[in-house]
Amino acid sequence: MSRRWLLALLTLLFSLSLALSACSSPTNQTQDKPADPAAPKTEPAKTANETPADTLFVSISADQGTLDPAVTMDNSAWKITYHAYQRLVEYDGASTEVKPGLAKEWKVSPDGMQWTFTLQEGNKFADGTPVTAEAVKFSFDRILQIKKGPYDVYSVIKEVKVDSPTSVTFVLAKNFPPFLSTLAANYGSIVNPKVKEKEQNGDLGQNFLANNTMGSGPYQLAEWKKGEYFKLTQNPNSTVKSTFKEVYFKITPDATAQRLQLESGEIDIAEGIPTEQLGAIKELSNVEVLQQPSLFVDYVYINSSKGNPALQNPKVRQALSYAIDYKALTDSVQEGYATQMRGPIPKGLWGHDEAAFQYTQDVEKAKALLAEAGVSNLSLTLLYSDARTWWETEALTLQAFLADIGVELKLNKIANATSREMIDKGEFDLALGVWSPDFGDPFMFMNYWFDSNNFGLAGNRAFYKNDKVDELVRKAATTNDQAEREKLYQEAQKIVIDEAPYIYLYQKDFLLPVSKRVKGFVYNPMLEGIYNLAEMSK
Amino acid sequence: MKQIILKRLSMLVLVLVGVTMLTFFLSHVIPGDPARMMVGQRATEETLQEVRRQLGLDQPVWVQYFTYIQGLFAGDLGTSIRTQQPVSDDLLTFFPATLELALLAFVIAILFGVPIGILSAVKKDTAWDHAGRLFSIAGVSTPVFWSGLVGILIFYKFLDWLPSSGRLDLSVPPPLKITGLYLLDSLLTGNWAAFKNSLLHLLLPSFTLAFAQLAIVTRQVRASMLEVLGQEYIRTALANGISGPVLLFRYALRNALIPTITVVGLSFGSLLGGAVVTETIFSWPGMGKYVVDSIAFLDFPAIMGFTFVISIGYVLINLLVDLTYYALNPEMKE
Repeated sequence: MSRRWLLALLTLLFSLSLALSACSSPTNQTQDKPADPAAPKTEPAKTANETPADTLFVSISADQGTLDPAVTMDNSAWKITYHAYQRLVEYDGASTEVKPGLAKEWKVSPDGMQWTFTLQEGNKFADGTPVTAEAVKFSFDRILQIKKGPYDVYSVIKEVKVDSPTSVTFVLAKNFPPFLSTLAANYGSIVNPKVKEKEQNGDLGQNFLANNTMGSGPYQLAEWKKGEYFKLTQNPNSTVKSTFKEVYFKITPDATAQRLQLESGEIDIAEGIPTEQLGAIKELSNVEVLQQPSLFVDYVYINSSKGNPALQNPKVRQALSYAIDYKALTDSVQEGYATQMRGPIPKGLWGHDEAAFQYTQDVEKAKALLAEAGVSNLSLTLLYSDARTWWETEALTLQAFLADIGVELKLNKIANATSREMIDKGEFDLALGVWSPDFGDPFMFMNYWFDSNNFGLAGNRAFYKNDKVDELVRKAATTNDQAEREKLYQEAQKIVIDEAPYIYLYQKDFLLPVSKRVKGFVYNPMLEGIYNLAEMSK
Repeated sequence: MKQIILKRLSMLVLVLVGVTMLTFFLSHVIPGDPARMMVGQRATEETLQEVRRQLGLDQPVWVQYFTYIQGLFAGDLGTSIRTQQPVSDDLLTFFPATLELALLAFVIAILFGVPIGILSAVKKDTAWDHAGRLFSIAGVSTPVFWSGLVGILIFYKFLDWLPSSGRLDLSVPPPLKITGLYLLDSLLTGNWAAFKNSLLHLLLPSFTLAFAQLAIVTRQVRASMLEVLGQEYIRTALANGISGPVLLFRYALRNALIPTITVVGLSFGSLLGGAVVTETIFSWPGMGKYVVDSIAFLDFPAIMGFTFVISIGYVLINLLVDLTYYALNPEMKE
C-alpha cells in the first residue's frame, strides 16, 4: 500500500518538475536575450522593453483584408498603406483643406468639368520609376475598370487625359466641386503602372496589391506576417525624408494585452484600448492620451417612410429628439469624450452652423408633440449590432429616455452583416449608426444623408424625402462658389434639423494612448486613424 | 485492421459531402451580403451588383454549390472574399500555428492530467484526491480569458519571464518552413535561437489552454481507474501478490485508458477548432481568429474551407482513437 502511495506521489512530482523546468528554464534564457536588437544588453529586464528610437510600434486590433487602394473602403486598411502612396493633393496638417502633393498646381475650368494638374518633377516609385502623368491616368483608369468600392466616388470621371508627361486633365461627366477633396483620400493613391506585370487572370494586379504596395510614398510594405504584424520600411527613392526607418503595426486583438504592452514600453501607440480604461491609462507616467475633436459622428436613423407609420409625422420625430438628455448620454456612453452635434454637419468641417438649433431634453414638450400628432402607446424597435462596443450601453440609455415620454423601445441586436442588410432595405423603426467623412466637404453629410436618391445604406438611412431639401443639396453639389454652397447647405440644414429624420447625437472625440517618447503626431480629422508617419519621431 | 481503416476513410467522403452541403447552404441562408461588406457602406446599387457578379453571387445557390464542389475536386478551396487570397493559402498560413499550440497544450494536459487522475483514484477521498480534483476543476471552470490574462500579468508584467503575444519576437526571423510548426522546424534545422524564442512564446498560451482541458482528462482517468481498481481481476492480482507499479500500470491503467482515449481525442478536436479566445488573448496568429473574422464578414469560402479542414481533422482523430483501441485491447483485434 505504501509503495503505491509513493509511486503516485513520484509520478506527480515528476510531471510537476517537468513542467516547472519548462517554466523556469526560460528565466535564465531571457537574461541574456535582449527583447530588442537595439536595446543595451546590460540594462535590467524592464527597460530592455524600450523600443529603438528609429522604429515605431503601433498596436492594432485586427488583421486586414485587401490593401489595394482601388478596392478597399476600410479605414483600418488605409492606415497601413496610406504612406506607401502619394496623391495629387494631400491634406494640409490638421486642416480639412488640401495642399499640393504630387501635383504642384492645378486649375479648374469655369464650368467645373475639367481639372488640370501639373506634376512636381522628381517623385519616384519605390522601384525608381518616375511618377508621370501616365501613372496618374493608369491609377484612375484602374479604379474605373475594377469597379469596386472606390468606383462610386470616381464614376463622375468621364476621361483622364495625359497632356504631357507632367500634366494630366480629368474630364468630368458633371460638375462635382468636392472632386479635389476626394483626390486626397486613400483611393486617390497613385499606383506604379508596373503592377501590370503582376497581373493574374486579368485582375489588374488586384491580387498583388492586396498584399503589397507599389507607390511613391515615403514608406513601403516590406512584410505582412498574416495575423501577426505589418512592417513598413523606407522607400529608398522617396523625396520625403522620414525619421522612422521601420514602422510595425502589430496585431494585438486583446485590449488588456495592448494596455500591458503599452505600459511596459513594448509598443508606442495602442489603438484598441476602450474608452472606459483611458482614465487608468492617463495615470501612467510614460503614456499620454491625445484628445481631439473628430468628425466621427454617432446618430440614430429614424425610418421616416418605411418604418412605423407614426414616424412619418415630423412631430413624432421631434418628440424623440426632445426626449434625450444629451449630456447624460455622452457621459454614460463615451465617458464624456464627445460633444453633442449641432445639426448634421459636424464642428470642424466648413458648412457647420454654430447658430443652428440644437435639441435639448424637454420631456413635457416631447409629450405634447406626441399628443399633437395623435400618437399614444407608441412602441418602436431599435436596430443595432455588435459593430461598435458602446452601442449596447447607448441602446439601453435611449430606451430609458424614451420610456420617460411614454415610448416603448424594443432593442433588436443583430449580427453586423445582417443588420446592414436590414438597414439597406429599411426594415427597422430606429437604428444606431456612425458616419465619418472620406473627403473634407459637407457633401459627405448633406448629400449622402438627405438626397432621396441615396435611400438605404448608401447614405439616406432615414429614408427621408423632402423635395425642397433635394433641390437645395443637389444645387449645392453642382455649384462652384464655396460661399454660395455654404448658404445652400445651411438652408437645407435648417429644414432637416426641424424635421428631424435623424437624432443627432454626438461627435466622438479622437482618443489615442501614445507613449510620451513619440513626437510630431498631428491628428487630421479627415485621416481618422492615419498617422503622419513621415513627420513623426521619438 | 485494414478493413476498419478503409471503412473509416470511405465514411470520410460521406461526412465531407454532408458537411460542405450543410455549411454552404447555411452560410447562404443567413441574411447579409458579403459583396456589401466588401464595397463599403456607401456603395450604390450598380457597384454592388457588379461586385456580386464578379464574386459569382448573382448565380442561384445550387449553381454556386456545384461550382464550389467542382473547384474542390481540383484542390481549389476558392478565394476568400475578405483577404482576396486563395483560401488554401490562408489556411496554410494559419493552421500550423493552431496545430502547434493545440499539440503542445494536448501534451501538457496529458502530462499533468493522467498522473493527477491516477493519484486521485489511488488515494480516493484523501487530501490528495481532493487537491487533485480541485486543481482540475479550477482549470475547467476558470474562463480562458481570465486565466490567460492572469498568466500574462504574472509572467509578463511582474516577472518579465515570458513574452505576452505572438509566436516569435520581431527581431527573431522564423525558421525555414518545413512543417510550419516553429518548434519542430527550428529543431530540424538546428536553429536554436528560433527554438528558444518560439518555446518561450508558446509556454503561456499552451499552459492556459491545457489548464482548461485538464479536468476532462483527470476526471476520466480517475473514474475509469476507480472502476478498474474495483474489478475482480485486480483483487485476484492483489491476492497473488502483484502490487505497486506493475499492478497499477500493467493491469489497471492499460484498461482504464481505453475510455480516456475517446474523451481525449475529442478534446483535441475541440482544441483545434475552438482556441479562439486563447488565440485572441495571446495574439496567436491561428485559425480561430481567422475564422471568426471571416464569419463576421460572411466570407463563406473561408468559412467553408475552415469547416472542411476541421471535419477532416475530426474524422482522422476518430480513426486514430479507434486504432489506439485496437492496440490497447487485444480482444478487439479478432
